Amino acid sequence: MKIKLLFAALVFLAQQGMAQEWLVPEDQKSVQNPSEYNLDNVKKGKDLYLQSCKSCHGDPGKNNALPLVPPPPDFTSDIMQANTDGELFYKITHGRGGMPQFETTISEDDRWRLVNYIRNFNPENEPVLVEEPPKKAKILASVNEEQRQVEVFAEYQDKDSNYVVLAETPISIGAKKAFGTLPIGQVLTNDEGRAEYHIPESLIGDEQGMVTLVIDLGEGFINEDVVLDAAKVGQPKPTPKLIQKEVLWSTNENIQVWLLLSYLAAVLGAWGTIGYVVFLIFKISRAGKQE
Amino acid sequence: MENKSRRNFVKKLGVSVGAAGLVGGSSLLSSCTQVETASGDTIKLLTSSGELVEVNKAQLKPADMPNLTEQQKRGRKGLPGRKFVMVIDLSKCRNARECMKGCQKHHQLRPEQHHINVLQMQDAEDTAPYYMPKPCQHCDNPPCTKVCPVNATFKREDGIVLIDNERCIGCRFCIAACPYSARVFNWFEPRDAEKYEGVTYNIEANVPQKKGTISKCLFSADRLRDGKLPTCVSSCPNGVYWFGDQNEDAVTNGTTHETVSFSKLVRDNAAYTLMPELGTKPRVYYLPPKDRAFPFQGEIEDHHS
Repeated sequence: MKIKLLFAALVFLAQQGMAQEWLVPEDQKSVQNPSEYNLDNVKKGKDLYLQSCKSCHGDPGKNNALPLVPPPPDFTSDIMQANTDGELFYKITHGRGGMPQFETTISEDDRWRLVNYIRNFNPENEPVLVEEPPKKAKILASVNEEQRQVEVFAEYQDKDSNYVVLAETPISIGAKKAFGTLPIGQVLTNDEGRAEYHIPESLIGDEQGMVTLVIDLGEGFINEDVVLDAAKVGQPKPTPKLIQKEVLWSTNENIQVWLLLSYLAAVLGAWGTIGYVVFLIFKISRAGKQE
Repeated sequence: MENKSRRNFVKKLGVSVGAAGLVGGSSLLSSCTQVETASGDTIKLLTSSGELVEVNKAQLKPADMPNLTEQQKRGRKGLPGRKFVMVIDLSKCRNARECMKGCQKHHQLRPEQHHINVLQMQDAEDTAPYYMPKPCQHCDNPPCTKVCPVNATFKREDGIVLIDNERCIGCRFCIAACPYSARVFNWFEPRDAEKYEGVTYNIEANVPQKKGTISKCLFSADRLRDGKLPTCVSSCPNGVYWFGDQNEDAVTNGTTHETVSFSKLVRDNAAYTLMPELGTKPRVYYLPPKDRAFPFQGEIEDHHS
């Protein structure tokens, strides 16, 4: 019995070990990447990465992937880079276990661009997309309630640690909601580092129409998010009544008045009739005695 | 007359001396305790406004927790101005069951009890099977609350359907009335019963559970009060759940914390609700299981042929 159990355990372990290795069909392994390794493709690959991969794999090089089993490898890691282009493409396409399949959600060309992006971190390759270290930045912002616009001024710290205006940079504007910040728009700064964002009419605020705005520079800058306290620039949020008192025989608390009244009237009427009949019987018997 | 006044005088004197003694003694005593507190060591605390303060350990008092009746009262009112809504993206679910685990831990549920359950579905013979998490639908026109004879289960103004285990008599009418099989009954002593002994009942978490009463999904109303997402939403590793306030038209993903417009999300993805023909008006929306990210690995019994 014990030997049998041990054998079963061994078989199980062996299977587990087999399952660890992600086998890619031989003919798929050697497929060449049809997408050229250039800045354009790598940039597109990065956008896709931010959208679909980052939530599990983390930031490349920072080893901050989600603690899943098996762990999603960092894009810069040897495990990742040891794959051939064909293997990477196959794995992105079909997925396995915790890794989703992207066959239906990302086009073939774009999956190859993702492979381009992964190769950007291969030590044997000349990286085409070099990430500059994030710069320190400052944002000043204010809301003009009358004209319903946000005025932003941004500057960043250059090499000599002087603050200079930040030109031609996208600034994202969001509105605080119950559980997160809803992005509402983006605006480019001009040569003076200034930008004006016109708040759309349809933006919903709280019951009074107050909106808390969050102004943020994209990645590549270190700055504190600027949070503009509630400004009256949104539509007041609708708060329709949800509960109708259409509960039937539940409790007195929930009952509708017409129902309660008609019930009471019926009960009183019935008892009244009975009482009246009894009263008449007494009356008859008394009349009989008097005779 | 003279006698009387003397007696009075002595009486008054006695009383006043006694009183003075009492006052003096107590002040002495109190000064003693003060000395004691001043010499105690300090402790660092984080206030609710986020400030770090140093407090004398001896001055610490247990915080005033709302008592049972207060909790029941505010639990019936709900959060003002909100109308909670959940969107479940069926194309992302891979049956990881983290939502179920988190939920059962939070609400003290036995392994066979589910506030949320991941079902294996197949709509017709030739269609693909998929996984479907199914919590309480928190209907706007709930059949379950109307059949309760003791007003134990009710709909709140913020959209949540709750149950008060302190009022529930265990008649199970609501189980019979619910078309979504969202309610469970505590047939046995609840999980970790001894751990929750003596804990004040929290109507917004159904904890501690009571044997012989109903329990149901409550969108983790206690967490919502703290501004947190429900347990199932934040424990999902695959980004299945979106949760938010329909009044402000925004839902937030529990995994990626991305916030999007609720109306746009349900419109663009052709969201649907379960059994709309019943007129229950569910507050849980489903995005169709198109382009599923993970292959179906369960077994579906063939009931179609």
